[in-house]
Amino acid sequence: MVLETVPAEYYLVLSAAVFCAGLFGILTRRNALVFLMSVELLLNAANINLVVFSFYWGEITGQTFALFVVALAAAEVAVGIGIVLVLHRNFGDVDVTDATTMRW
Amino acid sequence: MALIYELTPAIVLLPLASFALALFFGQWLPKRGAVVGSLATAGTLGLSLATLGWLLTTGEPHNQTWYTLVDAEATFDLTFGILIDQLSAAMLVIVSLIAFLVHVFSLGYMNDEGEPGLSRYYAGLGLFTASMLAFVIADNLLMAFVFFELVGLCSYLLIGHWFTDEAPPSAAKKAFLVTRFGDYFFLVGVVGVLVTFGTANFAGSGGFPALAEEALAAGETFFGFGAETWFSVLGLLVLGGALGKSAQFPFHTWLPDAMEGPTPVSALIHAATMVAAGVYLVARMYGFYALLPTVLGIIAFVGGFTALFAATMAIVKDEIKQVLAYSTISQYGYMMLALGAGSYVAAFFHLTTHAVFKALLFLGAGSVIIAMHHNEDMWAMGGLKDEMRVTYLTFLAGSLALAGIFPFSGFWSKDEVLFETLIHALGGSPLLFGAYAMGLAAVFLTGFYTIRMVLLTFHGDPRSDTAEDPHGVRWNVKVPLAILGVLAVVAGAINLVPVEKLTGAHVAFLEGYLERDLGLLTHGAHYSELLHDYAGYQSAYVGSEVTTLLLGAGLSLGLALLGAGTAYGLYRGASPARHTEKLGGIRTLLMHNYYQDEYQVWLAEGATVRLSAAADTFDQGVIDGAVNAVSSVSLFAGSRLRRLQTGIVTNYAALLLLGLLALLVVFAILGGWL
Repeated sequence: MVLETVPAEYYLVLSAAVFCAGLFGILTRRNALVFLMSVELLLNAANINLVVFSFYWGEITGQTFALFVVALAAAEVAVGIGIVLVLHRNFGDVDVTDATTMRW
Repeated sequence: MALIYELTPAIVLLPLASFALALFFGQWLPKRGAVVGSLATAGTLGLSLATLGWLLTTGEPHNQTWYTLVDAEATFDLTFGILIDQLSAAMLVIVSLIAFLVHVFSLGYMNDEGEPGLSRYYAGLGLFTASMLAFVIADNLLMAFVFFELVGLCSYLLIGHWFTDEAPPSAAKKAFLVTRFGDYFFLVGVVGVLVTFGTANFAGSGGFPALAEEALAAGETFFGFGAETWFSVLGLLVLGGALGKSAQFPFHTWLPDAMEGPTPVSALIHAATMVAAGVYLVARMYGFYALLPTVLGIIAFVGGFTALFAATMAIVKDEIKQVLAYSTISQYGYMMLALGAGSYVAAFFHLTTHAVFKALLFLGAGSVIIAMHHNEDMWAMGGLKDEMRVTYLTFLAGSLALAGIFPFSGFWSKDEVLFETLIHALGGSPLLFGAYAMGLAAVFLTGFYTIRMVLLTFHGDPRSDTAEDPHGVRWNVKVPLAILGVLAVVAGAINLVPVEKLTGAHVAFLEGYLERDLGLLTHGAHYSELLHDYAGYQSAYVGSEVTTLLLGAGLSLGLALLGAGTAYGLYRGASPARHTEKLGGIRTLLMHNYYQDEYQVWLAEGATVRLSAAADTFDQGVIDGAVNAVSSVSLFAGSRLRRLQTGIVTNYAALLLLGLLALLVVFAILGGWL
């Protein structure tokens, strides 16, 4: 198999790169939709790790878990989109830095 | 168990049912609850008479725990129970008789006069009667305390019946607070008794008086005190409640103010329920008090002093109910004197006759007040004897009984009180002479103020327009008066001790009844033994017993007649002068009740309020100051720290990341990776 010829470190580097991209998005972007996409990147970075380790370990559990994460991500998007809609309705924008009225 | 004892709870439940009915359905009941109340109390009276009859014929008492409130085997149980012995059976009859007559009389005093709040009034009467009856049959001190408090609550409700006026609510509050002050000590006493003996039962060999006797005989110590010292403390604590309810000095101030309530309520309070409760409580646990000579001495002195003290105030009062109020305080002083002087039978005898004639006098005064269109000033009356024949004759009978004139009931009981005090004083307790002297002096004053009251109210020329043409009263006023009038004349016949001693005929029925041993250790003969063995009360005579008897009776009757004669000499005639005004400064002092009210108000406002104000300042300044200082530090720190909460998600994410990095660095250093 092709997969076995690729060392595990490559996958980990890929995962770390995707994670950093997501993190960068969260820390720098103000658009709530981009924000959500960044969160998806974070989740999928974790997914890559799960699948890879599962593969090398010879156990199916990690992959099953990745499926759960996918489902969870879908749910999170559903809720997230709802929040974004409400955000837009209340502030007329999808800028996350606008919604600071409930702090203190 | 005899059928009659299975019905005992009904004695209490009947008036309680009338209370509930009048409270919830009063608007739709005939006469707004008066009929139901009268029927319930009539049923109670019937059951009480049957109980008394059963006890007289079979001599079988009843002492049973009925309901356990708290079951705690390791310490002590808190229970409710029923104790029917000679004392409670006789008291049940007195209470239910007076309650029944007061209900009937109320038809005339409240319904016919169109008073407001009738269903509330009858509900109050029902609860009052029920709580007093439950107090009477209580088999332990805790249950007695609970119903003692309920009696106090009901008196508050009834004294304040006309709550839209200014005076009644204030009088009601005063009655409640003053008696509550005494009850506070009572409560501590109840707890003390429970802790000391593990039981608060009155009767039997397992009751606390019997345990106290054993402990005294064995010379046990409690909490580092000798048995007698500790029991005296307990006895005095419980006595606080009794003195408060029985309006003994210095707790007497609430009673004259309680005249603000409707007159039938005054009759009920003064004759059979509230005020009698204090004396009854001491009589109930007399097996305990008989062990404690110090406490007995205090009771005798407080009683004798109150008898005299209240009588002096009664001689100057101008309102008919005020005179009666002070006479009540004075007469209960006699009962306390009798109990303190070791004469249990005489005390209960006087309680019985007093219940009859004082209820009669209050109802008679109520009848006069109806006739006078609710004017209570005796100087506006006069000449009522021809207009109100029944009221006059019955009132006169009650007054002669109160004054202690032979052969009315009051003579026999008061004479026995004084005689017993005298022989115990002669028998080696010389301190009782002081109490005896005060009691004797009060006899003279009682004769004076009673006859003054009768003459001013009924004799002479009418001194106002209403007195000339008084409002008539109906059967519902006259019938209770007639019943009580007859009883006031003949009630002394239940215990003609002097006659028995002079002729040898067995006519001291009450004494025989109370002294009979029913196996509960609550009979008079047992108390006499205790008084002899522990309190050191012995009898001695001047010459022979008969000589002392005649001497004592002659002295008290002579003084009563002298007082009555003095009043007659001063106040007879068509238009008597206001002789008491010649007393000048003394009259002012007496009219102001020795400034006892002012003194108590000063205690409350001058002393207590200032003390509480100081405590408040300390609390606000020092205690709250420390707390506020601590909290202000937190508040300041919080107001700075909260700036971290920007509300911007990105910042939180950055902080999370920084936190994670910081943790990683820490772990790295601690784990030795760096």
